[in-house]
Amino acid sequence: MIEVNQLSKVFEFTKKQQKENNSNEKTSTAVNNISFTCQPGRVFSLLGPNGAGKTTTLRTIATIFQPTSGSVKVNGFDTVIAPERARKNIGFLTGSTGLYERLTPNEIIAYFGELYGVEKIAFETRKEYLFTLLDMHDFSNKRIGRLSTGMRQKVSIARTMIHDPQVVIFDEPTSGLDVITAENIIQLIDNCRKQGKTVLFSSHIMSEVDLLCDDLAIIHKGEILFNATMDEFRNQMQSKNLTAEFIRIVQNQTKTKLA
Amino acid sequence: MIFTIFKKELKDTLRDRRTLIAMVVIPVLVFPLILGISTSVSNSFEDKQQNEVFKVALLTDDPGNEFVRELMSIPDSLGPKELEFYPLEEDASQLIHMDSAQIAIAIPPNFDQDQANLNSSNITIYFKETNLGARQRAEFFAQHIESVLQNKRYDALDLNPTKLVPFTINYTNLSSTKEMLGKYVGGFIPYLFIIFGFIGCLYPAIDLFTGEKERKTLETLLTAPVPRWKILVGKMFVVVLSGISAASFAMIGLFLSLEVFEFIDNPKILEAVNSILSLKFISFLFLLLIPLTVFFAGIMIPITISAKSFKEAQSILTPVNFMIILPAMVGFIPGIELTYATALIPIVNIVLASKELVADTLGIDLLILTFIVMTAFAVLSIALSYKRFGRESNIIS
Repeated sequence: MIEVNQLSKVFEFTKKQQKENNSNEKTSTAVNNISFTCQPGRVFSLLGPNGAGKTTTLRTIATIFQPTSGSVKVNGFDTVIAPERARKNIGFLTGSTGLYERLTPNEIIAYFGELYGVEKIAFETRKEYLFTLLDMHDFSNKRIGRLSTGMRQKVSIARTMIHDPQVVIFDEPTSGLDVITAENIIQLIDNCRKQGKTVLFSSHIMSEVDLLCDDLAIIHKGEILFNATMDEFRNQMQSKNLTAEFIRIVQNQTKTKLA
Repeated sequence: MIFTIFKKELKDTLRDRRTLIAMVVIPVLVFPLILGISTSVSNSFEDKQQNEVFKVALLTDDPGNEFVRELMSIPDSLGPKELEFYPLEEDASQLIHMDSAQIAIAIPPNFDQDQANLNSSNITIYFKETNLGARQRAEFFAQHIESVLQNKRYDALDLNPTKLVPFTINYTNLSSTKEMLGKYVGGFIPYLFIIFGFIGCLYPAIDLFTGEKERKTLETLLTAPVPRWKILVGKMFVVVLSGISAASFAMIGLFLSLEVFEFIDNPKILEAVNSILSLKFISFLFLLLIPLTVFFAGIMIPITISAKSFKEAQSILTPVNFMIILPAMVGFIPGIELTYATALIPIVNIVLASKELVADTLGIDLLILTFIVMTAFAVLSIALSYKRFGRESNIIS
């Protein structure tokens, strides 16, 4: 389970960053007092346009950032008080995740297995399961630098799942991928739900949300505009399709703020 | 967990061609190359001196004078020469500038008469200082002829030359060859080790911090259940090990130059160098090198972690390289020695201590002080690295 409670994240800019931004503003609020809960066995989608605060929220949940205020709990572990225990429960995959080019899939998986403290026997079983599931045996000893985008994505998935995390976070996992590779991710998310894992994924692709999502929150300019189940979202729709409804909600908030 | 990170980073680093070249290939080759080139240049210069026909222009109106005769009697086995005669009024500088001669000797017309009257003659020798070896050959000819003519005068005056010498002085050098080497070339060894220690750290530091950010692998690593300080220490160990390895490979290169390629054939120097490269020297040198390399890693990591790209990290670290080279060059300045004051200056203290170590004159108190000072700076640099590594703005590019 993920519990996000009144979370805010404010970034402070150095003078160099202010110069780069061409602005005198010393701070920027990326996330402003947001709360939501992701339940086990359900897929929660964080939906928002670019720059809405999705990635900052996910990075804060994954303990890469510390909250400025508010709190985040992952499977009961507070991300500030017990960050390592929280991380042990998380599998984190982003669309832009890189891999070590000079290592092989076998070496990368072994490395992360060790980092997550996976026992040797459990590791071998899990690795065999993932390599078979993702059809990775043929290239398991080739260096990452020589693999195709699809193969790399499979390695990233195996790396994310090697410690069998109870909470899986995907940050725009299909961005920039071809349909076949993206399908692997969709399949993975669906499998995670079936296995009773808590899944949180961010996206701005409504077809993916429609396909996978049980619960959703729409975030814009760091604030949650809508938070309910997917069924509730469909029931209250005022537009003809999901994409149009998403745009309507986001634009509505912008107009309200301007007024 | 630190060992897991260290192991992986080391494997990754050893597969990087750039790092291997900076860490192994260049350090191993540098001493054989420097010594090989300097030996072959100096040998070929000596051979050239020995075999090249030295052109001497004799400006005289009397080609049969005693100076000329004595000059001609110097055997060619001491260096072949070719004599060309010109009138006394000839422009000597023109002859040398036109390469018609390497030196020109102007002999006054009354030279023989002066000698017969036991008077002193004025001989002028023209040469170009930039023409290597010309002055030495001219001095050799002049001293040889002067000595012959002096002996003739002693005979003519029936004098025992030894009676004209009130005393002789024996300058007895109490410095061992080892001390002399320490004094004059001792600064060179730590200089090279400092440079290689720095270069050895450079690429892994950029690759393991900026590179990880640039390749977008740092975010994944930071979501693993490992405290950040352990990630920092694991990576830092690899950077330090690379620096020490580069310095060690330079040492291996030096050993190969002396023992395998035998570039130095002077037995006295060879014996001294061999005694310098003792287990004690190497152990003490490494004792000083370890905190120095940690210090290097500690000043590089904050830079590499805040840089957004490999290129940016490299461009910031290049001036830092110069800031390291300058204090490292203190070892070449005569008169600056390791004292309680200089032992407090990082890098300078390592250079001076290594110099004393080469000369075998390093006091244990100054060695300990140098080690403590360098360790303190290393700890400070680690603290700075930790502070920077923990900063959120530095983590994600």
